[in-house]
Amino acid sequence: MSVGTRVVGHSLPRIDAPGKVTGRAVYAADFALPGMLYGKVFRSTEPHARLVRLDTTHAAGMAGVRAVISAADVPDIRYGAAVRDEPVFASDIVRYVGQPVAAVAAVTLEAAEAALAAIEAVYEPLPPVLDLAAALAPGAPLVHEAWQSYTAIPILQRDGNVCNRARIMVGDVERGWAEADRVFEHRFTTAMVHQGYTEPRAAVAAWDSSGQVTVWSNTQLPFDVQAALADILAITSSKIRVIVPGIGGGFGGKLRIGVEHFAALLARKSGRPVKVMTTSEEELTAAYPRQGTVIELKTGVTRDGRLTARQGRIYFDTGAFAGSGPGVASVATLVLAGPYRTPNLHLEGYAVYTNKTNCGSYRAPSGPQANFAVESQMDIIADALGIDPLELRLRNIVHEGDEGPTGQVLSAVGLEECLRRAADAIGWPDRRPGPGRGKGLAIGWWTTTGGSSGVYVKINPDGTVALNTGAVEIGTAALTGAAQVLAEALGVDLADITVVSADTFSTPFDFGAQGSRTAFAVGNACRAAAAELSRKLLAQAAAQLGSPEEALTLRDKHVVGPSGRISLADLARQSQQAGGGMIAHGTFIAPGTAYDTKRVEGHVYPAFHSPSFHAHAVDLSVDEETGEVTIHKYVVAQDVGFALNPTYIEGQIEGGVAQGLGQTLSEEIVYRDGRVLNANLTDYKMPTTLDVPRIESILVEHPGQVGPFGAKGVGEPPNVEPPAAVANAIAAALGVRITSLPITAEKIVQATQGGAR
Amino acid sequence: MAKLAITLEINRESHEALVEADRTLLDVLRSDLGLTGTKTNCLDAECGVCTVLVDGLAVNSCLYLAVAAQGRAITTIEGLAPAREGLAPAGAGLAADALHPLQQAFIDHGAVQCGYCIPGMILSAKAYLDEHPRPTEAQVREALAGNLCRCTGYQKIVDAVLAAADRMAAGTVAS
Repeated sequence: MSVGTRVVGHSLPRIDAPGKVTGRAVYAADFALPGMLYGKVFRSTEPHARLVRLDTTHAAGMAGVRAVISAADVPDIRYGAAVRDEPVFASDIVRYVGQPVAAVAAVTLEAAEAALAAIEAVYEPLPPVLDLAAALAPGAPLVHEAWQSYTAIPILQRDGNVCNRARIMVGDVERGWAEADRVFEHRFTTAMVHQGYTEPRAAVAAWDSSGQVTVWSNTQLPFDVQAALADILAITSSKIRVIVPGIGGGFGGKLRIGVEHFAALLARKSGRPVKVMTTSEEELTAAYPRQGTVIELKTGVTRDGRLTARQGRIYFDTGAFAGSGPGVASVATLVLAGPYRTPNLHLEGYAVYTNKTNCGSYRAPSGPQANFAVESQMDIIADALGIDPLELRLRNIVHEGDEGPTGQVLSAVGLEECLRRAADAIGWPDRRPGPGRGKGLAIGWWTTTGGSSGVYVKINPDGTVALNTGAVEIGTAALTGAAQVLAEALGVDLADITVVSADTFSTPFDFGAQGSRTAFAVGNACRAAAAELSRKLLAQAAAQLGSPEEALTLRDKHVVGPSGRISLADLARQSQQAGGGMIAHGTFIAPGTAYDTKRVEGHVYPAFHSPSFHAHAVDLSVDEETGEVTIHKYVVAQDVGFALNPTYIEGQIEGGVAQGLGQTLSEEIVYRDGRVLNANLTDYKMPTTLDVPRIESILVEHPGQVGPFGAKGVGEPPNVEPPAAVANAIAAALGVRITSLPITAEKIVQATQGGAR
Repeated sequence: MAKLAITLEINRESHEALVEADRTLLDVLRSDLGLTGTKTNCLDAECGVCTVLVDGLAVNSCLYLAVAAQGRAITTIEGLAPAREGLAPAGAGLAADALHPLQQAFIDHGAVQCGYCIPGMILSAKAYLDEHPRPTEAQVREALAGNLCRCTGYQKIVDAVLAAADRMAAGTVAS
């Protein structure tokens, strides 16, 4: 709880809560228009094949069917954030089971489904690339024969099935090995996992008579979707309006265009509004999940536990299209370095094509996978050297003023405090309190993504405040946090602020709900707008109050001076009559983070901006007979810079850990021969109330220089450390190390019985 | 498929609908009656976002046939707040005292993030608390095990339900 502030730093209820508890909040999945049709996507049944025949004539003639489209009906373009490699519909080659081949719109969902069943596709199988090893083998079949012809971000290092190799090189690892007393080499694997948002991806599109299309969708990035639609629809972006009515979770899975283009294309063809919404099966076979990985990690260390060098390679199974892979592979190298001082580094991230669904971004992309390897190995090293794992970390962690792996100068580093407080809270150093029971620690660092944000802020004639932002309230209460910043700066209450958001026609640009940036960036834009409003309000009030502007302040919904005060409502009314209303445009762009360009190659994310630091600690028991893991206590100490709203930061931590525990213990999209075996929510096992323990949050505050009141991004970090923390605790409990995620009961039983480790 | 004329009692009001025999209660609530507070997701009774009360019992409306709901009292999230004269219409800001104690507790405890699971979560909790007014934390967790939430980690939801139970059992507000 913050001293000296009225609004920020206080656990106030989120401003959109009443609509969400009464069912009145409208989400994209709820959205409907009169005369609306239902769209469905016809998808490939083959992992890799030539599409030799596609016949939609029977489907097109069926009762209730209003439109059928396939590759022949859309511009021959490829899209993608880093590599433009993905077509709207497969035309000659299909590259994963689930790839869109055609789409239909009909008057009912049932009619649309019946039409799908009437579409005929004939395939000629091609040799599929089913996993990373197959994709990287010499002479492997290429997922994209024509990869060289694709447009891509120029700095990417592409080669055949590798759609980027990102690199960090520091010092000389050979020298580091020579200086080391011990060198440790391990291999880790992690599985493909889904974000698990409870609202399916959904979009409704409608064209008007002037040739403009409006799309209501649950995207995290309305402006990015607008741009992608401009390419796909081959019209200028100002003809495309994207509105986010409400969004039922995203976690990165709703960043890129998902169903919006199908809705828009079917609506154009049919002349009717069209809604497209995914099923759970589509989500688990044809969405943007987190990449499975293979990680090779080699670390040199002196006898007294000082890191001398690290070489790491992390391979991302990014699926049939690059998706977020090239960027994720870049970010991964920063995570592989860890928040440690290591003089010699050679770190590589590879994004690799396979014949699986196109992977994307999932809360702290690459974080959990790379951190699992780094922090598991730190415990292995500690045990091998006979040094306590806490002590080994304390000897190597970064501190204020240290360099990050690419040369960025680190500031506001609260890592040691996080580590010590998490360890204390879990009862360290009593690491093995009883048979089958163990404790684990893991630490990490993460970024606060930049990008620009704009807001318009208007003082209404009743003295309330309208915050107009292009940002998306994804559920974190980030826009409540931004509104708290605005209320603090304007001298009003949080309850005085209403938010209008996420409409590409009427709201200012925002880089979107990604990278833990919304409260940070929109909050700063609000500060800028408040400063501008303050200038205008004070100037207008000065004459009336008979005091110079310097003598006036904004307080308690008034401009207050030595000789009296005047309300914001009065000033806004005056402005409406004489000055066009009391309004300001606030903008923010995070300053670039300086780094050493010579240390990186193929790297699209070379530094962590306003980095956060965190430590997780867990105390658990393992039943060796059944492999069941019972978590007794879970502690997170996270340096949030400044806690704008402690309750919702705790919410981020509790939810991020829960999601992380799913990835750690039970979740996996299981592929066999290019097909997903568990495309339903019974067999894809997400944690329930019975699986998630109580989580203790310790909010550490080392204020950063950029964020509002020193705040750092908080949404993604809690998802980074759970796999490593739990793996370390299981290893402490069992004396056996499991190096592949998820750590299922089956793997535990096999490991304790001397089988696979 | 032939359509059947059915009458459903939803939130203490009678609604008529013309539906095929295989239409689910979820679909009729959302598509025919515009009651989109009941959410849709897996359509296989795995996630719980579609939970409504039928004669006081929590059911997954995605697998409950609309025709089978005839003659039963259905409660959706829109009907949870106590019936009051002059209750604000949909879309208007509701006064805090128009909320059910569970709804208020979810707000007070920060139990709402994206909010998509919340209507189902609140109705599952309501059904349980009506039968077990003073539950333990373990019982609340058991009662909510069929409702997935991906945002909150459940902690603040469980806390909210326990707090609402206290308030309801204290009799300060009729449920």
